[in-house]
Amino acid sequence: MPAQSPAGRVALWRGRSGRVSAFADRCPHRGMRLSHGFVRGETLSCIYHGWGYAQAGNCVRIPAHPALTPPETVRVATQHVEDGGGIIWISAGEPTGGPPRFEGLAPVRSMTVEAGIVALEEATGTSIAGGLLDYTNADTSVRLLLAPESPARTLMHVLIDEDSNPDERITASRAAEALRRAAEHIERGGTGR
Amino acid sequence: MKLYDYVLSPSCYKVRLMAALAGVKLDIWPVDFHPGAEHRGPELMALNPAGSIPIFEDGDLVLTESSAMLVYLAAKAAQQWLGNDTAMPAARVQQWLSFSHRLTASLGAARLHEMLLRPGNIDALRGQGTVALRELEAGLIEQRIRGQNFLASDRPTVADIACFPYVALAPDGGVSLDPYPAIRLWSRAVRSLDGFIEMPGIHRLHELKPEPGPEGGEA
Amino acid sequence: MTRNAMMDEWYPVGLVSQLDAHGRSTALMGEPIEVKRGDDGTATVARSDGRHLPVCIRYGHVWSSLGDPQKPLFAIPEADQPGRRLVDVGVVRVRCSPLRAVENFLDIAHFPFVHTDILGSEPHTEVQNYKVEIREDEDEVWATQVRFYQPQAAKSAEGGITTEYMYRVPAPTCSILYKTCPPRPGEWDVITLFVQPLAEDLCDVWPWMALFDDETPMTDLIHFQQTIFVQDRSILENQIPGLLPLDPGMEIPTRADLTSVAYRRWLKRHGYTYGAQLVAQ
Repeated sequence: MPAQSPAGRVALWRGRSGRVSAFADRCPHRGMRLSHGFVRGETLSCIYHGWGYAQAGNCVRIPAHPALTPPETVRVATQHVEDGGGIIWISAGEPTGGPPRFEGLAPVRSMTVEAGIVALEEATGTSIAGGLLDYTNADTSVRLLLAPESPARTLMHVLIDEDSNPDERITASRAAEALRRAAEHIERGGTGR
Repeated sequence: MKLYDYVLSPSCYKVRLMAALAGVKLDIWPVDFHPGAEHRGPELMALNPAGSIPIFEDGDLVLTESSAMLVYLAAKAAQQWLGNDTAMPAARVQQWLSFSHRLTASLGAARLHEMLLRPGNIDALRGQGTVALRELEAGLIEQRIRGQNFLASDRPTVADIACFPYVALAPDGGVSLDPYPAIRLWSRAVRSLDGFIEMPGIHRLHELKPEPGPEGGEA
Repeated sequence: MTRNAMMDEWYPVGLVSQLDAHGRSTALMGEPIEVKRGDDGTATVARSDGRHLPVCIRYGHVWSSLGDPQKPLFAIPEADQPGRRLVDVGVVRVRCSPLRAVENFLDIAHFPFVHTDILGSEPHTEVQNYKVEIREDEDEVWATQVRFYQPQAAKSAEGGITTEYMYRVPAPTCSILYKTCPPRPGEWDVITLFVQPLAEDLCDVWPWMALFDDETPMTDLIHFQQTIFVQDRSILENQIPGLLPLDPGMEIPTRADLTSVAYRRWLKRHGYTYGAQLVAQ
């Protein structure tokens, strides 16, 4: 699937073994976005010409030349990925430690908000603390993990108490929709549009 | 059963797809929608004064709304696709069948504008399409929390087929699907169904087939 | 902006069969233009300031140019052969470089993945060696002896065949494909891609065909070609960068891509760079 990182667009994918990888979202052959590709076993292949890449980013298959062992120079840039507590983390450089852990919380959903973090903070009436933003709507409390994609766009991961039942999770999802509407309203007003 | 069909029309594709999934063979009549505008010609206007396709005929029955065609095909040949065993899924099916017309009017019109140069206010159409995609994403998130992978129940229904084509083809109208992870999973679930067929703009899920072996045989 | 060599080329701007007095508002290389049938019944193409542009009617399309074409429009002798059916496929707009649209048309290695079970299928993915040249006399790029396994040779055909193709690039945004013609061995079906550059990253594509086929209804022929092109469209709108890179370091060609390599070299040589990226960014 497509995703954003500080180093640009990435193609996130999971091999059959369950291992997650992050590639630069561009096939070096013809520039096609690899996030449109397909996964067989532990290989991500480009939808355009079927060039296949192993988790290390090296090309392992060029279908137009089945007998050819692809040269080592054909590779895609990879980024460091960690799968922690239901959240996938990408590190643009070499990480010094593991990703943060949010004990007792479980992810509900990820959603794109057409607003910056400042507008989200204003909409919640609180500020980010310990890496998370708290939001309470009626009786529902959610914790938000925010990844800025641009000054006016944020990827918002909605977390909730891991003991929540399905009804509470659905309520949390709806609360996050309300927050998005509020933050986007603030963002539009704030830029005078 | 006869379908007046255009290969690039997502509404026509709904009917072809439902028929393929239900194992029904259709008698396909290709209509020169573009560039010939045959759907606005006297013969087809006589059949459907609205001047739209698809048009579906079975004996005396003439249908001009794709949702009705899906229901007819399911009722005839694949009743589990009606999803009407109990009140809740039956209502959800109707909810999403009606909702699917908003997809046609927004994402569908944006696609016609961007691809086949039809008139329209592209920014407004994309905006309406984004609102609809967000509703669909939220609905699918809630279904997943309930342990159900399809729009109306834990198995696919006509509602999924009514919504799938215009959603899958949203990028044709310049509306990205990148922000919608639940739509992505649902789209893959639909495309993985036994008997699924594609239309131009919706590629084959090549992962469903094994990697060919080094000698060119099946691995 | 410096004057681009592509200014003096002919480009398709509309279908002759759809020409009317009401006109079609379109664009050529960023310039708004109006294509219509004039009072005397002939086609006119004018800029927004009213200045008339050169007009040529050929291969089912109206052609025009922002500059001063030094040559007549390229010849397709087969188009005048008796017995061929001429197919106006109609326009499809694509948000991509006009040069990327042509390059994709010259490529066969994507058939199994993009035109699955129609023009190609796994495991028949291998591209055999073929011949590529820039013909100096005609100043055209040619690829010949291109062979590829085709699973669905015709609508009625059972099983696949090896189809032979020849590709020809007579103008920077036009290509002609000659393809094995099952009903008439020894003749070639002609399938063209005429691309109207609206902007460097936006084009209207006008496929057109001249076929030996008395059986297939016209609408089926149109739908087949529209199917193929629209399958390519989602690829073309997702290539990065959007402009065609002429810097050899930017993308990695293999033997299967020799037509593309020759096409890019030919574009560079002539300064046909509208829609191209010259330096890696």
